[in-house]
Amino acid sequence: MTNIHASQLAFFAEHAPFDRMESAHLVWMVERMRLAYYAEGDVIVSPEQNTANRFLVIKQGMVHGEQNVAHAAESDTWLELAEGECFPLGALLAHRPVASIYRAGTDTFCYELPVEDFQTLLGMSAPFSDFCTRRIANLLEHSKQVIQAQYSHSSVEQQSLASPLSALIRREPITCSPQATVREVLQKMHESRIGSMVAVDEVGRPLGILTLPDVLERVALPQTDLDQAVITIMSKQLTTLSPQALAYEAALLMAKQGFRHVLVIENERLIGLVTEKDLFALQRVGLRQIGMTIRHAQHVEALQQAATDIRNMAHNMMAQGVAAEQLTQFISTFNDLLTVRVIELELARSEYNNTPFAECFCWMALGSEGRFEQTLSTDQDNAIIFTVPDGMEANQVRTQLLLIAKRINETLALCGFPLCKGEIMASNPKWCLSLDEWKQAFANWIDHGTPEALLHASIFFDFRSLFGKQELAEELREWLAKVASDNTRFLHQMAENAMRIRPPLGLVRDFVVGKENKLDLKLNGITPFVDAVRIFSLAAGVTHTSTLLRLRASAEKLKIHPSEIEAWLDAFLFIQVLRMRHHDEEKTKGMSEAALNNLIDPEQLNELDRRILKEAFRQARKLQARLSLEYHQ
Amino acid sequence: MSAWWLNWLGNKASLTAEQQHRLDTWKSLPRIALDKPFNATRYVVVDVETSGLNLMQDHLISIGAVAVVNGQIALGESFYMVLQQETVSHKENILLHGIGGGAQTGGVPAADALLAFLEYLGKDPLIAFHVTFDQTMIQRAIHQYLGVSFGHAWADMAYLMPAIYPSYASRYRLLDDWITHFNIHNDARHNALSDAMVTAQLFQIALSLVSKKKIADFAGLRDLEKMQRWVSGIS
Repeated sequence: MTNIHASQLAFFAEHAPFDRMESAHLVWMVERMRLAYYAEGDVIVSPEQNTANRFLVIKQGMVHGEQNVAHAAESDTWLELAEGECFPLGALLAHRPVASIYRAGTDTFCYELPVEDFQTLLGMSAPFSDFCTRRIANLLEHSKQVIQAQYSHSSVEQQSLASPLSALIRREPITCSPQATVREVLQKMHESRIGSMVAVDEVGRPLGILTLPDVLERVALPQTDLDQAVITIMSKQLTTLSPQALAYEAALLMAKQGFRHVLVIENERLIGLVTEKDLFALQRVGLRQIGMTIRHAQHVEALQQAATDIRNMAHNMMAQGVAAEQLTQFISTFNDLLTVRVIELELARSEYNNTPFAECFCWMALGSEGRFEQTLSTDQDNAIIFTVPDGMEANQVRTQLLLIAKRINETLALCGFPLCKGEIMASNPKWCLSLDEWKQAFANWIDHGTPEALLHASIFFDFRSLFGKQELAEELREWLAKVASDNTRFLHQMAENAMRIRPPLGLVRDFVVGKENKLDLKLNGITPFVDAVRIFSLAAGVTHTSTLLRLRASAEKLKIHPSEIEAWLDAFLFIQVLRMRHHDEEKTKGMSEAALNNLIDPEQLNELDRRILKEAFRQARKLQARLSLEYHQ
Repeated sequence: MSAWWLNWLGNKASLTAEQQHRLDTWKSLPRIALDKPFNATRYVVVDVETSGLNLMQDHLISIGAVAVVNGQIALGESFYMVLQQETVSHKENILLHGIGGGAQTGGVPAADALLAFLEYLGKDPLIAFHVTFDQTMIQRAIHQYLGVSFGHAWADMAYLMPAIYPSYASRYRLLDDWITHFNIHNDARHNALSDAMVTAQLFQIALSLVSKKKIADFAGLRDLEKMQRWVSGIS
């Protein structure tokens, strides 16, 4: 017979989720539990042990989770669990080893339930099972921790790039008045041993910046009058971020714009300065460094190296659990830089360099690149839009541009962007058009709504300018926003088409899988979101191209609650991350870039990811239901 | 009512055939080797409630016990039983352990309760804080109601703890001293099961520490205890 003292039950009655469990279930659980003791510093569970074999509740004491598995000696605590808390839920649900070392922070007693009983209890007690598996957000949090820990071997050095800028600011910024003389400012910079000076107004708002490299260019060489007001020679193009922005965002900005300083601004006031040097300690290969390499590359070899660096950096960011939104933004930023440099180099090599002819066109990114949603294995999707200079025919211009476009496409292929199998590239005469020709083509698709037209619309309507005369792309975008939002018949056709691809949720099993039990994350996961959101944004006259911005910008017109919008976007981004992780894993296994696909076997996913994926598909269904509501025939 | 010394002198307890069978089954269990490592041994930590502190006159009211299996307390395996009393103990005593008169006379017949305890115990080593008291009370009851002498392996936390923590040896005497030191919660002090539970937790802490001192089995614990008894004796 068993005798459980009331005080044991009293303990559980004080803590979630046990306080909501039926007492019979609680007694059932406690009867199967053991109480274990761990002296301070003892390892309780570690990744070296096999699949997590017990559910633990801290009765007394403190448990630390340590992320840095590779360097246990210098490990940092990322998780602190106290009396009444349970662990390791993620590993138990996913049937895998824990991703972190759990160590007793003080002398600790834990109640322990064998994994078999844990599973039985999940099936038996709804409050318990809810607690362990509730809400997608909660699961995503687990998932993120797991990813971070899984990758932590390779990215120890990279971890702090995810820290907020407020943590990097080391001192109050040294500032000057805009009316101070150049002489005074240089004197102060010298005395304070600082590399830059920001001029602020009476309430602390930044007006301009002077950096040491500027001194050579703006003061010494032009022999500036040292007694004039410093503001006249300062750079007024200021790069600013909020203190909550993360270090890698600053690094990304520096890379994108080539500056060495980012001003940290709160309520418009300058509160600190983050320099490239501050960030340098956080990254092995600086983002700005990759940016510089690309910007100054003279040969395709240098660009190929940069492309490799971008991929390695993306791997590291994935390891930090950087969100999909930022990750794709990072990839887009660098792919843009790289593409622009390829175009510049090819233009320079051509006979049109520095001629008005080189100024008459705009290189456009399409499809996922146009939406800023590239993964690491994305085919080229690009096109050219041009103006016809006076005295020339469109066909003449086209013939010339196609020669350059072909070289650009081929060089991009050398840098890891495979040629488009569907020939949707600027070197295809069909997609190297004047502004008028584009309008005509778009109008044609909108009027006819044939399957081919709808397919084209889904790729081309996501265009954005990448290089050259961007006014052309902007004009086309304005025109399209107006024409498409007026044409409800076309929107209906698009909606009908989009509904053909259903999220693969099954009635009997979790997922409906295709051949070889594979699930296509792109076709069945990403596409339903992208397609539906494109239609919403066209209807709302939104000119953004990214799915996130499109949906957020369309929300008001659609009268959808922001929380629902965010749930959709969470789901979309989770599938994106899953895709990228899949690519990353395949590549680590030695698969070539070209062979990467979006097919996963849901059975191979761990329990947790499978559950979230299911939830993500459910969100896709809700989005489609909304689409069908708007465009009910 | 028979005087305690009549039993002590060898009055044969009268057992039913079924009770006798249970007793014989327990007796025939093999002895447990005392050199098995801690993580492969079951220990039973015990505490008793009695009608008073007089070893020869007071009698056993209840037994609480907790099993420490391979170093872990098995919550589903704890034991608690109130023995049916011929007379209810004094009021002051009731206030101490909280077992009211009704519960005392309504308990399990003593022979059955003791047999249940033996079956729960098997031949595994016993652990208690101040063994002499628990041991004597249990031995006397078993002799009285089951008619056998109860020779069993015990280890005493009251000696083991000072041996492990010599610096506290002079200051800490009571179970309460140690559990306060280790901040072990006990919200029902003087309930036999509750006290067995905190003693078991103390035992877990002790096991963790002696393991680091290369003591790996029960025999080692007893050597440590003997040494401490000798040290206490001369100091």
